[in-house]
Amino acid sequence: MSKTDAVEKSGRDVPVIELRHVDKHYGNLHVLRDVSLKVKKGEVVVVIGPSGSGKSTMCRTINRLETIDSGDILIEGEPLPQEGRELARMRAELGMVFQQFNLFAHLSVLDNVTLGPCEVLGLPKDEAEARAMELLERVGVGEQAHKVPAQLSGGQQQRAAIARSLAMRPKAMMFDEPTSALDPEMINEVLDVMVELARGGMTMVVVTHEMGFARRVASRVIFMAEGQIVEEGSPDEFFNHPKTQRARDFLDSIRGH
Amino acid sequence: MGLSELLSTYGDKYLQGLLATWSMTAVSFVFVMALAVLVTVARVSPYRPLRLVGDLYVQVFRNIPGVALLIIVAYALPELRIVLDWRTCVIVTTVLLGSAFGSENFMSGINTIGVGQIEAARSLGLSFTQIVRKIVIPQALRTTVLPMTNLLIAVMLTTALGSQVPLNPQELTGVVSYVNTRATGGVLAFLVSALGYVLTALVISFVGNRLDRRVRILR
Repeated sequence: MSKTDAVEKSGRDVPVIELRHVDKHYGNLHVLRDVSLKVKKGEVVVVIGPSGSGKSTMCRTINRLETIDSGDILIEGEPLPQEGRELARMRAELGMVFQQFNLFAHLSVLDNVTLGPCEVLGLPKDEAEARAMELLERVGVGEQAHKVPAQLSGGQQQRAAIARSLAMRPKAMMFDEPTSALDPEMINEVLDVMVELARGGMTMVVVTHEMGFARRVASRVIFMAEGQIVEEGSPDEFFNHPKTQRARDFLDSIRGH
Repeated sequence: MGLSELLSTYGDKYLQGLLATWSMTAVSFVFVMALAVLVTVARVSPYRPLRLVGDLYVQVFRNIPGVALLIIVAYALPELRIVLDWRTCVIVTTVLLGSAFGSENFMSGINTIGVGQIEAARSLGLSFTQIVRKIVIPQALRTTVLPMTNLLIAVMLTTALGSQVPLNPQELTGVVSYVNTRATGGVLAFLVSALGYVLTALVISFVGNRLDRRVRILR
């Protein structure tokens, strides 16, 4: 790292996550069109939009689960590495929570949470376990620690998955539709954990359809359609005074009943 | 020749044959599993040339008759100055064939893991090697107990190739030829050997089923 980079990095204004003119195609489909976004430390950016708008894809490019065709992605001012050990190191610093939870099916909940810290961060087993238990208690699944994922409800699995990400002490966390696969009665238990995280100052990018969550904790709402960021503003601006017709149509459609 | 005469005259020979079959099966299966893991890792690796080598390996050894491969190993390799003893020839042949099928079993086991878990592992910063070691292999092993049980039985039956070369001691099928060249054991001589295979296979299935129930992954 050069001296100027170091100076820049220590500066408060360097966003934790930055996308610059990101483009991506799936064959003929242009899924991300010139997407630029800055997420500052402690910000909670909620990304909403109709299905197929590219919001999940955008979320997944941030730790390169999806590659991009052009543009830049910077984490604390450093470009996201293409592959290999450097990419793995960068991924370890970013948490990711998936729609389908994606817990490791053969491991206990506790081992799910300690795997990353032990293998990637090199933490001793007992230290990792103590910390994992603390996190599992915090998200309310401490009693399930020694069960395997299939023995947990969807809501419990998702909370365990959040604990697994937190165990890496990430700089930021991405949530890719974390409540979309849950039964309605389990959505709030997961959102409550996310609200607590947001209030605790975690930098978050949240792709979701939960408008209530967006209103309560978003620092900013991003509205995407057809691979583009169409509108961006505070929750109040976006929900009460949408600027574009597309955003108004979308809000009408979800409020329709 | 009746059963009692057959057993009293050649009982020792059959027993030795059974032990020879068991030991070749056990040794072969250890190498089958080890090689199957290696080939499978190659087939899922991020490096295309390695994937091609793995796929080619499976295609070659899955599609070659055991006897043909044994002839190559036993009679063609010495031309390349690779001379193996007869027992090793049979084991090498069995391992090459068995590992190709074993790798196919692992591939189907890996396909049950789901891309989501792999993405989650990558998101945690795990390397390819760590993902293979901690996520892929443990799950592939635990979901393929039943097909691997079948493979173990198939490996045992493949060691009957040993009847085509002068083994000492002979394995179960070789014993039949031995008996029938010296006496008129007829079908009975085969049936005694067959009983050895069948009873062993039943034990293997029983243990395989128990093991599967213990390690099966809940989904």
